[in-house]
Amino acid sequence: MKGKLLATLLILFLSIPAAASAHGAKISYQITKAIEITATYDTGEPLSGGQVTIYAPDNPSTPWRKAKCDENGKYIFIPDPSKPGTWDVQVRQAGHGDMIHIPIGEGTAEAASGSTGYTPLQIVLMAACVVWGFVGTTLFFARRRGS
Amino acid sequence: MKKLFPIAVMVVFLVAVVLSGCGSGTEQDTETGTSNEAASQTSGETQVGTLEFRANGEDFVRQGFVSKDGWAITFDHVYVTLADVTAYQCETPYDAHKGGKPQAAVEVVRPGTHTVDLAEGGEDAPPILVGKVEDVPVGHYNAISWKMVKAASGPAKGYSLVIMGKAEKDGKTINFAIKNEKEYSYTGGEYVGDERKGIVQEGGTADLEMTFHFDHIFGDAETPADDELNVGAPGFEPFAAIAENGTVDADMAALKEKLSSKDYQKLVDILPTLGHVGEGHCHCEVL
Repeated sequence: MKGKLLATLLILFLSIPAAASAHGAKISYQITKAIEITATYDTGEPLSGGQVTIYAPDNPSTPWRKAKCDENGKYIFIPDPSKPGTWDVQVRQAGHGDMIHIPIGEGTAEAASGSTGYTPLQIVLMAACVVWGFVGTTLFFARRRGS
Repeated sequence: MKKLFPIAVMVVFLVAVVLSGCGSGTEQDTETGTSNEAASQTSGETQVGTLEFRANGEDFVRQGFVSKDGWAITFDHVYVTLADVTAYQCETPYDAHKGGKPQAAVEVVRPGTHTVDLAEGGEDAPPILVGKVEDVPVGHYNAISWKMVKAASGPAKGYSLVIMGKAEKDGKTINFAIKNEKEYSYTGGEYVGDERKGIVQEGGTADLEMTFHFDHIFGDAETPADDELNVGAPGFEPFAAIAENGTVDADMAALKEKLSSKDYQKLVDILPTLGHVGEGHCHCEVL
């Protein structure tokens, strides 16, 4: 009897969250880096509604995305962080256009891989000093025992 | 104690050698990689393809257009003479706004001087093939330079640019031949247009384009009058005004004599802006 009651309570307990999630909403957020481009004519006038074509570093032949600038010649996109390298962005309007090349991720990766900030020579010297410290200590105690 | 000291020295020496060996080994790998990459781009064993150089007067030349001042212009011939046509693979993309020479790991030159007629073919004809170079290293040719020089022979002899055609407005017809004896050097970055150009893959063919914008001279009725393009363009009216018996046949020396100084200066200022890479601007030097 107790077992049946416990089983029933367990089923009820498990079913409550499922029922709640069916009618609920969830918002999560993630802080990420976005690129905002601004396209203007040489006169400073914006390329309002200019055609934007973005090429990712891993496929320079096929557009990664096509879009349009807003009325101020601006467009914002979030590059795929799994594709480090140079992202090429082209904006055109009425026979005028330009292409910009944005390095993404490469600098960050470089900084991470070089996070110690020491040259190989410095590392060797430090290692030698540490080893010499151990050797010196050993010699010191060995000398005391000998004497 | 005497035995311990040499052992200790040896330990220090070995550790130092091992650690320094690791460090220099990494550097060596990187250097070898870079060096191999450079070698593969110039050796005969590298992957190769074909690079075509094309010249394009766009639909303006192939189909004609209406100038900013209402003249319906059609072209019979538009001769440009091109020399030192060179494509580049630049690691740092070329910036035409800054100018200078592209810093390239690979350069491909199409030798010779070539006079081409941008008006050749029908209304939907493809851009004119200037020439092609086979067995070029694969990669992205993202910059191009060329010179527009005086032709040594042929229909454009003595001129870098000859524009021949007909302009019509309000029942008037003017046949024109406008000739330019000045020479220019253009350098542009990557082609800006519907498709990406200059990516040579193994065994494949890619093209680069030298684009010429003739609406910069005559203006475009389909563009607002206060647009920078039309403000800077002389239009056709100044040429119509100097026509004799319905014909204008003049080079820059003659135009300097006949046009108003303002119109002539506009023409001189706009001619260096003809050369483009698709819709992308080029850096230009008057030679």
